[in-house]
Amino acid sequence: MAKIDQKYLAPATVIEMPEHLDRGWVERFSIARERPSGPMVLDLSHTRGVDSAGLALVYYLNRRYAKAGLSLTLRNASSAILQTLKNWQPDEENKKTPRQISIGFFPGIGGSVLNAKDLVVEALSMLAEMLFWGSFGLFKKRDFRRGVLVEQMFFMGYQSIGIVCLLSFLIGVVLALQAAIQLNRYGAGIFLAPMIGIGMIKELGPLLTAIIISGRNGSSTTAEIATMVVGEEIDALRTMGLNPVQFVVVPKFWAMTLTMPFLSLSATVVGVFGGYAVAIVYLGISSSLFIGELLRNVVLIDVVENIIKSVVFAWLIIWIGAFHGFKVKGGAEEVGRETTASVVTGIFIVIVADAIFSFIF
Amino acid sequence: METVSNSVAVVEVENLRVSYGPHIVLDSVDLRVAAPEIRVILGTSGCGKTTLLKTMVGLLRPERGVVRLFGKEIREPDSPDTVEALKHVGILFQNGALLGSLTVGENIALPLQMHTSLSKKLIREIVELKLTQVDLPGVYSLLPQELSGGMRKRAALARALVLDPPLVFCDEPSAGLDPVTAAGLDDLLLRLREGLGITIVVVTHELASIRAIADNVVFLQKGAVLFDGSMAKAMVLESGPVHDFFNRRGPLGETAGRGTLEFAVENIA
Repeated sequence: MAKIDQKYLAPATVIEMPEHLDRGWVERFSIARERPSGPMVLDLSHTRGVDSAGLALVYYLNRRYAKAGLSLTLRNASSAILQTLKNWQPDEENKKTPRQISIGFFPGIGGSVLNAKDLVVEALSMLAEMLFWGSFGLFKKRDFRRGVLVEQMFFMGYQSIGIVCLLSFLIGVVLALQAAIQLNRYGAGIFLAPMIGIGMIKELGPLLTAIIISGRNGSSTTAEIATMVVGEEIDALRTMGLNPVQFVVVPKFWAMTLTMPFLSLSATVVGVFGGYAVAIVYLGISSSLFIGELLRNVVLIDVVENIIKSVVFAWLIIWIGAFHGFKVKGGAEEVGRETTASVVTGIFIVIVADAIFSFIF
Repeated sequence: METVSNSVAVVEVENLRVSYGPHIVLDSVDLRVAAPEIRVILGTSGCGKTTLLKTMVGLLRPERGVVRLFGKEIREPDSPDTVEALKHVGILFQNGALLGSLTVGENIALPLQMHTSLSKKLIREIVELKLTQVDLPGVYSLLPQELSGGMRKRAALARALVLDPPLVFCDEPSAGLDPVTAAGLDDLLLRLREGLGITIVVVTHELASIRAIADNVVFLQKGAVLFDGSMAKAMVLESGPVHDFFNRRGPLGETAGRGTLEFAVENIA
């Protein structure tokens, strides 16, 4: 003969529910945490009111006891309480819907690859649009607002020069100090001049400027465009027959193209000056000797390289900034996320480009 | 399903389906708007009203179906046909969508600068005229952020009207406005229809506005057209979702009360 589980034969436990079946009572009542061990009766003869926590407790216990094959009975409940329980009982089907559908490992990889492909295509389309409207778009006079170019040059160039020069000076000082300690050991302090000069002109000047500008102008470009997307301003431009890339991005593209070389050269000069200050003060090298060594080793092609790098870095920063801005679909959280991503991606792309330049030049 | 039949179609939508990924938002939507009328597209939140409007103006690409404005098919947002058709269309977005970097006057002047060869002085005159038409004098040099919500809506409406379009789309024009300002905007739309013969398509769920301005209504539910007919006929329906909408009646919610778990009950008090 089959054994019957004793829990089905046990007498019902009767729980007297309070007058106000509310969250405070539910928090103190531990039965929700106990495993069902037998039939249960909830005596609602004194219960006059119930809040969300009370309702949730009854639904939860009802479901749990039904799953265990045990009865849960509501005794002496008023018709009002029963109606409330009936009115607010959620659709059980809804609860089964997972927030995220889990997919297998390999389909996940496939999905990621396809998403990455779409992103790359989108990014390259943005680059092509930016370069197209930045060149041929200039000949469409009506679509290019000249006033805004000066405004963007002021914001992106003039207002950036202080921070760029300050940081370059400090980097120049730090580099020169560290190099000077080592060079001095071997009596080679005089090589500080060409080292700082070539290092700043060929590499650190444009690279440092680009990193600072990516953080400043790249993020502001992303935030501005993203805010326009969220505020439907981009949609408004499209419906007025205006290309958003041409209208919003091209002025920034040209502002950066024109100001970045000046920023980079300024950063370079100030950085070299930082090194010069260290050489004069710490190493005791004469000013004329430092400048003479500098001019002997730095050639015009290095300056041209500085300018070319700065322009390419400028395009990369604006491209990445615009791409992340237009990617936003909605919400402040996404604006913040894409702005951060734009800075990180911008710096990464700039450093990769610099590495590629190292092989070219 | 009741429909309105008119002679000159300004907007035609045939068998439209729009999806966001796997989620179908609009399915098998047909619509025909004739000139001049105020057609209101209404429905509960999430039924696809704004999606329909954005598809009609070419901002969203449908998965299936056709949209035509003035007989021209609207495909991609940047296609020449779409750009040409949209020159005859004004759009009032939900939050105005005025460009924050331009003054109110510059915002309104923008379509004139882009699509006409009028002189700057004449453009200025037209902008001042439009500001007068929307009862918004004296704000030419202000920035959009310096205006109240209602004023921004009016300024955006002035921009939508600056090319004297025969067709205007309005996305939730009364959203976020107090009843008095909303009523003022409704009056303005009525005056535009009566005075300038403009066809206006309004997406809204504000009952007071619908009752005030609608000639014909399209009721959407879960992405499908449930009713397309005159306001008078919509108001006399005695049952169904349209009736419930106008009489502010409905279930507690989509899923409340649909639970199937039974309660064992003894001695109901």
